[in-house]
Amino acid sequence: MNCNDCVERLYAFLDLELDEKELAQVRAHVAGCDDCGDQLGLEARFLDRLRDCCTSDVAPTLLRERVILKIRGASPPAS
Amino acid sequence: MAGDEFEAEALRHLDALYRTALRMTRSEADAEDLVQETYIRAFRFREQFTLGTNMKAWLFRILTNTFINTYRRKAAQPEVTDLEGVDEFSLYRRMADDRAASSSPDPETELLNRVVDTEVTDALEELPEKFRTAVLLDVEGFSYKEIAEMLSIPIGTVMSRLHRGRKFLQKRLYDLARERGIAAVRTPQKG
Repeated sequence: MNCNDCVERLYAFLDLELDEKELAQVRAHVAGCDDCGDQLGLEARFLDRLRDCCTSDVAPTLLRERVILKIRGASPPAS
Repeated sequence: MAGDEFEAEALRHLDALYRTALRMTRSEADAEDLVQETYIRAFRFREQFTLGTNMKAWLFRILTNTFINTYRRKAAQPEVTDLEGVDEFSLYRRMADDRAASSSPDPETELLNRVVDTEVTDALEELPEKFRTAVLLDVEGFSYKEIAEMLSIPIGTVMSRLHRGRKFLQKRLYDLARERGIAAVRTPQKG
């Protein structure tokens, strides 16, 4: 695997979407290539940062209460 | 699944559904309506949920469909954003060029640390909807295959939307850092 092939697969690698064979190829390439290794590190930190920013919000309490009222109203107890 | 159990499991995903709806619609009021509608549909069609399968993915499929069918049309469209050229953008390459001139030992980390959360989410809201939706579903931990099913698009299209969406975000954050003169990013020398 050359650098271009590796860079093309970085996101699939980080998204855990590569098959065993390509996974091993990327790992082997990155282990021997500082440039691709650094790039992988930067992309990983970027994705972590993005995830952290997007997953910290919580639903308003009033919405939770309204949803509960709606679904209980829509689905009478099954007794 | 007993009603109480179904309700408890469904409500565990309320925060995730809400924050995704908020970024899809870019409006708190629309996000709340979208989430309520999603739960109403989920309960109406709860017999269709297969026990033992992924409840989060099932709820997100309902959210995504409801958004596409109902809210997409009324959701404020983003400013026309030019994604031309983003494919080629490489934060790594840009930073490598800047690194030589930077006083920071680790300019990439500095850049990612110095941008604040709202700048990241603002950049996300500037993304055209089809790219934004793919990025949001990825952030929630869904696989390419699950995203492809939710959006009824091929896996290759999921990959290209994620790629372009992420590159766009990196470019926005890089430009922002540059505008603000974050030390890690070299400012152009005059004269």
